[in-house]
Amino acid sequence: MPRIKKKGQAGAAKNYVTRNQAIRKLQISLPDFRKLCIWKGIYPREPRSKKKVSKSATSSTTFYYAKDIQYLLHEPLLQKFRDQKALEKKISKALGRGDVGDAARLEKNAARPEKTGKPRYTLDHVIKERYPTFIDALRDLDDCLSMLFLFANLPSTSSVPAKMIDRCSRLCLEFQHYLISSRSLTKSFLSIKGIYYQANIKGVDVLWLVPYKFNQRVVGDVDFRIMGTFVEFYMTLLGFVNFKLYTSLGLKYPPKFDQVMDENAAELGAFTLEGLTIAGTENGKQIESSTHKPDPKVQAEVDKVLKQIGNGEANDGEDTTAQDEAAEEEKAAGELDKFEVAAKGGDVLPQPEASDSSKRSLFANTTFFLSRETPRQPLELLLKAFGCKRVGWDAVLGDGAYTTNELDPSITHQIVDRPSTQAAAEASEDAEDNQTSQKLAANRRVPGRVYVQPQWVWDSVNDGEVREPHLYAPGTSLPPHLSPFVKSVNGAYDPTMPLEGQEPELEKLQAGSDDEEGEEDELAEDMDVAGSDDEDEEGEDAFGGFSADEDEEEEEDGDASEDDRQAELEAELAGGAVNSKSGDKKTKAKEDARKALAKKSREEAEDLERAKGMLSKKKRKLFEQMQYTNNKKSAEDEKLRAKRRKLEKEKQRKAKA
Amino acid sequence: MPVIQGPTSGDAPQTFNQPSRKGKKAWRKNVDVTEVQQGLQDLNEEIIQGGVIREKDSKDLFTLDTTRDTTISKRLPKHLKKGLKADEIIAARSAVPAVSLRKRPSKTTDGILPVKRQRTDWVSQKELSRLKRVADGQHDNTVEVRDATYDLWDAEPKKSEVQIDEFFPEPVHAKTPKSMKQAPLSLLANGKTEAAVQRPTGGYSYNPAFSDYEKRLAAESAKAIEAEEKRLADLEAARVRAEAAARSAAEAEAAEARANMSEWEEDSEWEGFQSGAEDGRPTKLPQRKTPQQRNRMKRRKEEERLQKHKAAMKARRVQEQKIAELAQEVSEKEQLRALMRQQRALAAGSDSEGEIGEQKLRRKQLGKYKLPEKDLELVLPDELQDSLRLLKPEGNMMRDRYRSMLVRGKVEARRHLPFKKQAKRKVTEKWTHKDFVI
Repeated sequence: MPRIKKKGQAGAAKNYVTRNQAIRKLQISLPDFRKLCIWKGIYPREPRSKKKVSKSATSSTTFYYAKDIQYLLHEPLLQKFRDQKALEKKISKALGRGDVGDAARLEKNAARPEKTGKPRYTLDHVIKERYPTFIDALRDLDDCLSMLFLFANLPSTSSVPAKMIDRCSRLCLEFQHYLISSRSLTKSFLSIKGIYYQANIKGVDVLWLVPYKFNQRVVGDVDFRIMGTFVEFYMTLLGFVNFKLYTSLGLKYPPKFDQVMDENAAELGAFTLEGLTIAGTENGKQIESSTHKPDPKVQAEVDKVLKQIGNGEANDGEDTTAQDEAAEEEKAAGELDKFEVAAKGGDVLPQPEASDSSKRSLFANTTFFLSRETPRQPLELLLKAFGCKRVGWDAVLGDGAYTTNELDPSITHQIVDRPSTQAAAEASEDAEDNQTSQKLAANRRVPGRVYVQPQWVWDSVNDGEVREPHLYAPGTSLPPHLSPFVKSVNGAYDPTMPLEGQEPELEKLQAGSDDEEGEEDELAEDMDVAGSDDEDEEGEDAFGGFSADEDEEEEEDGDASEDDRQAELEAELAGGAVNSKSGDKKTKAKEDARKALAKKSREEAEDLERAKGMLSKKKRKLFEQMQYTNNKKSAEDEKLRAKRRKLEKEKQRKAKA
Repeated sequence: MPVIQGPTSGDAPQTFNQPSRKGKKAWRKNVDVTEVQQGLQDLNEEIIQGGVIREKDSKDLFTLDTTRDTTISKRLPKHLKKGLKADEIIAARSAVPAVSLRKRPSKTTDGILPVKRQRTDWVSQKELSRLKRVADGQHDNTVEVRDATYDLWDAEPKKSEVQIDEFFPEPVHAKTPKSMKQAPLSLLANGKTEAAVQRPTGGYSYNPAFSDYEKRLAAESAKAIEAEEKRLADLEAARVRAEAAARSAAEAEAAEARANMSEWEEDSEWEGFQSGAEDGRPTKLPQRKTPQQRNRMKRRKEEERLQKHKAAMKARRVQEQKIAELAQEVSEKEQLRALMRQQRALAAGSDSEGEIGEQKLRRKQLGKYKLPEKDLELVLPDELQDSLRLLKPEGNMMRDRYRSMLVRGKVEARRHLPFKKQAKRKVTEKWTHKDFVI
């Protein structure tokens, strides 16, 4: 007979420990244990069979890996926790005795590490352990940034101390400064929850969510102790990440912080970035004196950057060097490789985006003014991150503006979110008078300036090109704000793309045969496409800063398009005969194509049927269900496309008439 | 005579009547220092009386008197009268001048008058309550907030050059267990870890495209309707159950009442009825197998085994013959699987992973408490605005972040405790009624 084994002595029971066992083993309190687990990245686990592991009957016991807990015993933070516990005991003893003064002294001494020689702890080593490389840290930055931006926008309460909020907002602003100076912001999206941002930092896409200002309610059912623990950890992490990012740009970290400006709500304006050269000697010493020595390679690179900056300053302003550098980069990069689909019907591969300077300096050479009803913080970040050097705003929105004078002649664009603003009719007469006074009357415009709603900035940024401002003029109904994070599916309807690019072959053929006019219409369509291009260009010209009322603009547009139409008609008249000759051929070719397509689809269907026969019943059901939903989806897309086709055609007809 | 006498003899200072030098009495604190103290006292007295005698010059102490004084007999009365001791004591003055008690203004001030307060080391009530909280373990952040001053990821690990001393063993560092690297337990049904920040779809836009918004609105309303229907169904079921319970209880009561009505049971053993008496058939006990039987069984088993083997061999041979067919079949299956995958990708919208959408949670919850419900983040059609200024943000980001942590399995759900657990009180009546006497 084999030896009888006792329960809980071997196997799964040895691999797991319950939370209470872990606490007893580590000799710390439950809140401390929670903290430690969050910082060290030890998560609750689930054994395959709870019954084999636990001795108790409760199903809600939390388990941890025994090895994890064993490893926690080596954690230096544990000693700090125990010290803290000892201090608590001393204080409570003194309080119990009634020696309040003693208790206060004990507490004060513990909080004054330079006097007592007992430093409070930092989480540096934990961060190094959790994120062995910088890329690891970047991958986890989504969570970190969302949390810190959220806490930076919270009102301070007893559970969220003001100090923590200050620290969070400062770190976030430093990070935003990096985004601005490195131009690494790629996309942004105004959602109902908050504002999403995406940045590409060292090739890693980082996505985070920033709440709208003054919106956060503090709710009761969220455990602030746990959230606070996460925030403490993430604050340390973002500090180190910021340091690394700043030094990679050749900037000094931390940037100079102006307390007075910050108190006046300057936010980004409260910081001044400094190159490493300015305080080079000091900083060098500091780095040497610390135990961690910089990597010689990185140091060499930084030196190189510094030298470049020095040269640039000697030559000219910073702008020229930046442009030169960008140009050099482009030259060096040459043309980017294009990844093509190897097999037909394969996945669409993500193409490497050209990090062209044009996209990154979308708003260069422009001056913006934000009216007082617009959200300043996100607009400031976006505009500056896409090349705008001069952003002014109403004095109500805080300090640090390029200008607070609404009538500044250098302003080219103004962002407003009011119902409608009237054009100043007697602009030429009033202009001088107005310039003496600071404010404009309500709903008056300054001539020679583009007025847009805030969404224009977001849509321009996401498209990578400046959108036509007349679509976003104040008072007009805006085009829908689409999410830039949705990747278009093969065959799905995409409103931003032209119809030709996205319709499948069969649909195209059908569409062609549906309209009675035949080729004429097609021809017109082609021409119209060209016409619309022209319009686009004009729109851009308008953006470039010419001053004209919108009516005038439209008139001009009308003139241009009329000219085009004239040309069209002439061409039609001239080529009418030729076209009619080739008509039969064309219809025949179309017929052939349709036949071929039908044959192909029939064959595919047959193949599918044969394949389906081999499946088990369960799988076949699943397959059919999937097919059904897909068909439904594609039918929807088809409907949408048909609608658009109809609209476009109507537009054409109107244009012709 | 010297004030402090050095050790007169060469031996160590002794205690009072030291019987042995082993016990506590031999300790230093018990060493007899009366001599020293006496000496110090003497010294003080001498100083008060006008200086240490030993330090004085002999001229001050002594005079050589060579001639007699003739006036003495005249000055001193015949019978010298002795004064009172008290007078003598009072008359004795110290040679050391007294410390002056006059108040002087301090030389430098900051110009601010000191606040008059009885006690300066007092602790305010606010501070006290904070201290009490600290004693309870509710101290605010103990992590020191510092600006990063070095590059964490550039610091190279120090190469150990400890080959110098082989005598000492190298310090052993704890190895990180592999289990630390495992991803946390996701609460999603498919077991995948959710993205920390999910990509928003077009329906979440503040100014959405109509099709996106409509799709989302339809989905959310379907969900809401389903939830409401479920709630109503639950209510109905509960009602039906309660009714049935009431009915059965009533029936049982009625039956009991009827049973009570009948005077005795109908089928009693008294009347010759007995239950279960007939079907007690005697069971046959298993007998021991004979060797013959055993052999027969063995033979049969062997035969069966052989037959099985033969069948398997035959099947294998057949299969070998149609290898080509099988290969084709396998390839077809592969193709089919690929097709399925493609369809699935199409159905899921190819890259919908990481987008905000329907989360299917797993059935089993982690820990004691349920995962909180997701907020409904939807602007109703009549509230939909196309101006950013008029936008009313939806949802609560704090709750959203917290829930995301829970879903990703970073922490387990906790319940909010608004109040501390109070001690249970029991209400009793005072027993004074027992004292009541008529």
